[in-house]
Amino acid sequence: MSNRKIVIDPITRIEGHLRIEVEIDENNVIREAWASGQLFRGIETILQGRDPRDAGLIAQRICGVCTNVHYRASISAVEEAYGITIPHNAEIIRNLVTLSLFVQDHIVHYYHLHSLDYVDITGALNADCLKASLEAQKWSANPYRNSVAHLESVKEKLSSYVKAGRLGLFANGYWGHEMYKLSPEQNLIHMNHYLEALNIQRDISKAIAIFAGKTPHPQNLVVGGVTSVAEILNPQRLNDFLFIIKDVRGFIERAYVPDMMMIVDAYRETITSGEGRASGNFMGCGGYRFGKQSVLFESGVIKGHDFGNIAPFDAAKITEEASRSWYENNEPLSPYEGETTPFYTDLNEDGTLKSEGKYSWVKAPRYDGEVMEVGPLARMIIGYSKNSPVIRPYMERFMERSSLELIDFSTTIGRNAARAVEAQICCDYLFDMMSDLIENVKYFDETTWTKYSFEEMPHEAKGAGIFEVPRGVLGHFIRIEDAKIANYQAVVPTTWNASPKDSANHRGAYEESLIGITLSNPEQPLEVLRTVHSFDPCLACAVHVIDATGRELSEYKLISSNTF
Amino acid sequence: MRIVIVGGGISAVYIANSIMEQMPESDILIVSDEAHPPYDRIHLCSLVDHSKCAEGIALELHPNVRLELNQKIVSIDPKSKRVFSEHAVFSYDKLIIATGSIPKSLFDITGIDNAATFRSVRDCEEIARGIVGKNVVIIGAGPIALELLDTLMHNTEAKSITLIVRSDYLYSRELNSAAVALIRGIFEADPRIRIDFNDAIVDREIVGSKLTRILTRKGTEIDDPFLIFGVGIDPNIAFVRESLACDKGILVDETMRTSDPDIFCVGEAAQLREGGFIAGRVKECTLQADVAIANLLSREALEFHEAVSIDGLKVGSFLFADVTSPTFNPKDPDNETILISHENRIDQYIVNHDRLKRFIGINTNIDLLRLKRLMELDEPIDAAYFYSNRLMSENGRLVCSCEGVHEQELITLIRENAVTSFAELKAYTKAGRTCGRCKQDVCAILEATPIDPEEAARLKQEREAAAKEAELAVVRERIEKYNRIHPKNQLSSDNLEEAIASFEMSHEYNRWVSMITASMHLHPSYEEVVKEGVTQLNKIPIIWLELADCSGNSEGFIKTAHPKIDDLILKYISLDYHELLMAASGEQSEQVLRDIVQNDAGKYVLIVEGAVPMGLDGKFLRIGPKGETGVDLLKRVAANAAAVMAVGSCAFDGGVVAAAPNPTGAVGVSEALGRSDIINLPGCPVNPINIVGTLLHYIMFDEFPKLDAKNRPEWAYGFRVHDNCERRGHYDLDEFVLEWGDEGAKKGWCLFQMGCKGPYADLNCSLVKFNEGTSWPVQVGHGCFACGQGKIAFDQYANNRKLEEKPHE
Repeated sequence: MSNRKIVIDPITRIEGHLRIEVEIDENNVIREAWASGQLFRGIETILQGRDPRDAGLIAQRICGVCTNVHYRASISAVEEAYGITIPHNAEIIRNLVTLSLFVQDHIVHYYHLHSLDYVDITGALNADCLKASLEAQKWSANPYRNSVAHLESVKEKLSSYVKAGRLGLFANGYWGHEMYKLSPEQNLIHMNHYLEALNIQRDISKAIAIFAGKTPHPQNLVVGGVTSVAEILNPQRLNDFLFIIKDVRGFIERAYVPDMMMIVDAYRETITSGEGRASGNFMGCGGYRFGKQSVLFESGVIKGHDFGNIAPFDAAKITEEASRSWYENNEPLSPYEGETTPFYTDLNEDGTLKSEGKYSWVKAPRYDGEVMEVGPLARMIIGYSKNSPVIRPYMERFMERSSLELIDFSTTIGRNAARAVEAQICCDYLFDMMSDLIENVKYFDETTWTKYSFEEMPHEAKGAGIFEVPRGVLGHFIRIEDAKIANYQAVVPTTWNASPKDSANHRGAYEESLIGITLSNPEQPLEVLRTVHSFDPCLACAVHVIDATGRELSEYKLISSNTF
Repeated sequence: MRIVIVGGGISAVYIANSIMEQMPESDILIVSDEAHPPYDRIHLCSLVDHSKCAEGIALELHPNVRLELNQKIVSIDPKSKRVFSEHAVFSYDKLIIATGSIPKSLFDITGIDNAATFRSVRDCEEIARGIVGKNVVIIGAGPIALELLDTLMHNTEAKSITLIVRSDYLYSRELNSAAVALIRGIFEADPRIRIDFNDAIVDREIVGSKLTRILTRKGTEIDDPFLIFGVGIDPNIAFVRESLACDKGILVDETMRTSDPDIFCVGEAAQLREGGFIAGRVKECTLQADVAIANLLSREALEFHEAVSIDGLKVGSFLFADVTSPTFNPKDPDNETILISHENRIDQYIVNHDRLKRFIGINTNIDLLRLKRLMELDEPIDAAYFYSNRLMSENGRLVCSCEGVHEQELITLIRENAVTSFAELKAYTKAGRTCGRCKQDVCAILEATPIDPEEAARLKQEREAAAKEAELAVVRERIEKYNRIHPKNQLSSDNLEEAIASFEMSHEYNRWVSMITASMHLHPSYEEVVKEGVTQLNKIPIIWLELADCSGNSEGFIKTAHPKIDDLILKYISLDYHELLMAASGEQSEQVLRDIVQNDAGKYVLIVEGAVPMGLDGKFLRIGPKGETGVDLLKRVAANAAAVMAVGSCAFDGGVVAAAPNPTGAVGVSEALGRSDIINLPGCPVNPINIVGTLLHYIMFDEFPKLDAKNRPEWAYGFRVHDNCERRGHYDLDEFVLEWGDEGAKKGWCLFQMGCKGPYADLNCSLVKFNEGTSWPVQVGHGCFACGQGKIAFDQYANNRKLEEKPHE
């Protein structure tokens, strides 16, 4: 029997339009994989020719999920180009908002976008609520909303929903699939937290809105600082923020982290087998200062799981190429020069990807010519390996309780565990950052904006805003000419992870992580879904390329299918 | 347009209400130097006799008109368009002066406790307090003095009342002496009352702040007096003498425009260049106001010309009627008087060269409207006609001169409809509601007209039942329509219980019913009917497509708070296809989509997020295993949808994706489908409140809430951000943030100078805010960029600079 191809499109429970195609052999083992972004919007083209100060509000619309980070990176890129240093208060407020987003994003990702790959909702209906309550106590000394009565009401809610006939969002899942490993009671505990997490994510959004006005798409940043000065002078608002975060911390400690330990235990086999391991190249740019000298994340580059050997991170080594992407110009270029025009070669007639040619709207970013994985996993591994006083204690605690080695994190399940640990760290350190803010205000530093005169700024300049954001390293690159945006490029976390192959045929991280996985039922490729989901894909961000030539679309010719 | 009205009387209120009616989006401010909201000066007497309190004569003011009390305007600056009070500054685009007049007094009475004029609530309160046990002295002979005298006559608190009249007439110089005698007789029947003609105050004694004695020319000494001047009025215009052309009043042309084109003046403060003043006549005030409004709003070129006026005055047991031609000149020696009197009735005609110029009647039943027409036609009349024809109106005397309603007509109306109160009468006639002068008269007729209480109750019940039935019919029709269109969603009585159970708790279910009832603007008593409907419609299938989007609207949607997202998706709707949230992927999710499109054709609601890229044959976006383009998918799913909602600015008109140079040829859903029935909910992202509210309305009634010209629900998009902004007060006071983080920013001042585009944004952000009302962009000091206006926002508004042109009004 020859190899056959499986197409999964749309990949749901992600942001954006992603297709995965895999080729499996006669034993249902994945031999090759292709990840393809299926939407092109051209936000960077839209940015060209505009006033650099306006980039933030437009660039923010790259993504409504990672909603604050593009706004911030864009504004920071302009600040770097102009050599503007923002006031300390402004930096803290920006950090409070970004780190709250980390927490919100991680919780929504795990429970609402990912957990249904592990949790069989139909299994939960058979749970014994008393047993479920006792089960939860195995994983936490003080489990979140764990009374038998409450679990009964959750079960009742779910079963009346199922009985009423329409399954809505839960219709046609892979229910009953043999790869669902949780007991009915464990399923119920997870569904309990699935529903609670809906409330928690809404609460964190309120915390974000306190400083940022609203979310998604906050609106409190300007070149030079932040606008929300009145909020930091209002003790009630500061308190509101702290109390929301305090509640969220309770959820992470008593639900999210224990649930993750439960999953690690149930899926230990897949960890041992290394399911979902990619190339082992990790990259982090570090960041988020607090206190006197401390920093939340460490920077560095690790290759091939060689944890003892960490190279410093250098943004200048980032290039992007498009040999397998739907753009002209196949050469690797620095993001400042990134000069690409759509060159769409279409799909095959049966709707499948032209797997030997160009096949994605996502470009292939490389660091020093190599594929990199970015995100919570990279940050936790780099922080642990560099003995970060912030990260190491949290990682050690989790590793000890769940009997994991560092290498075990480089798997489908491990990626999620790293994310849960990171959510806990971000949440805890929000309190430290808030203390910094209160200290500042207490000593009469109310400055939130660095004054500058746009007219006196250089007419030619370039700058970058590079940050760790929930899904990994984000870079916005701006080149200014004649006081207008001449070139704009965003290299986002999902561009790294969802990268297609490059001219040397190196697979991107999604693709690499799928190789070697055995599908227990090729008609229901649950293993593929959970591995891709473990990266927390965000495709709207990933497809971002510019059209520096400004050519009319009508000039683009569709290349006939036999060219490649 | 910012319209400032100076003055706190009938004219100010009439103008404000009329403008609100014609242009509801106007921004109107009334500035009054009084402590009370505008009231009806005509009924001031009722404050003196304690029959009403100040609130009782308050005028009904449109709720969106803003009011500044205790602000005495001291000057205006037409150049910078500002009005200054002692404490504040108000900016305007158009200014209307309706300050009326100030009462005259014969000597300065400031600082004297027991002397007053008779013009304001404060005056009346002083009078009511001060007259007890005093010898009241009223100076004056005109209608004001007589009305006051009449009021005091019915009040036993004053020890004695002396009316001092400088000459020898009452009411009006033209009034015939027989009539004067008649009136005097009626008053002096009260032993406390004395009317002294040809007399005046010549001396007075003041001790401290008390007037202790008054001496008159004729030698009368009055001790322990309370003195009230009712001698006349002067236009209240001192504050504009410097800045506008004035004579005795503010000079206006026939469009009521002053010497400054943006400033109008009406009422007693206005002096017509051709003509003069209108004193104390409400009908004329409203006519002037109509003219001023028409010209101010540039609606039509109306002009004001003095017309025949009808005035009525009820004093004690007799009733004055006064019809005056604008061409009446009291000093014309050719005036002739025709007097017909009988007992307590006097009809006095003043004729000049065979033309009727004026009529004054006491207790008359002459048809005043007919006399008015006679004066208007200005034709020669035959004097003998008056003697032979008493011009008796079949309908009795004229009660309401503004609306032309006669006594008999009123009585018929009251009888036929069993009207028992002034409020009920509203449905049948406007009598008593225009200037309000005859309101008490109308009320007296109401009281005097016997109605069978049982009949009244029966009729009332009948009326209410009919109104209720009409409303119920509308609701039933909606529910029937719903059931007709959604036969599958009707639950049989078998699984009704289960459906109720799936709402989990009945009290929550009841809350939902109440919410729906309220959103339909129904009285709570209709909840039962609504409940019936609700049980019929558990769970509408919903397909949510994401096209060229950023998922921001979905991300916002899961933050909905009322109802919460889990309640919403588990109980109220069946979110069958939503790529961000659904469990199934790939082939399995495609299967779900195919099933709904096929099996629920015509029943599901399609929600679309994101723009539709049309360039490259739509291939900038492909979805599904067969690589269907976004636009094809949209067309396929929209074809069978019961309704299509485009959420977010991208789905509205392409939004940021379609911003210049629109690299993917993106358009909105409506344009991509070539359909005009798409419900648009723009915003970046749209507030989840607006999605859920619109959805709930649809779920319940199978029809969308009322839409505006851009197919946006009026309940959410009928507001301008600027109008409801919490910083609006600072805008009006010219208090602006001028630099990020400055003192104004710390105090929450207006962000207009920092490029806030609130004046260009039609959305309810400033009312509902975001994230459960936590905040919104303006609150965090950034300002609005009108994201809900669609792609224009991203090409013109998404920045921190003021637009060159002025905000649209």
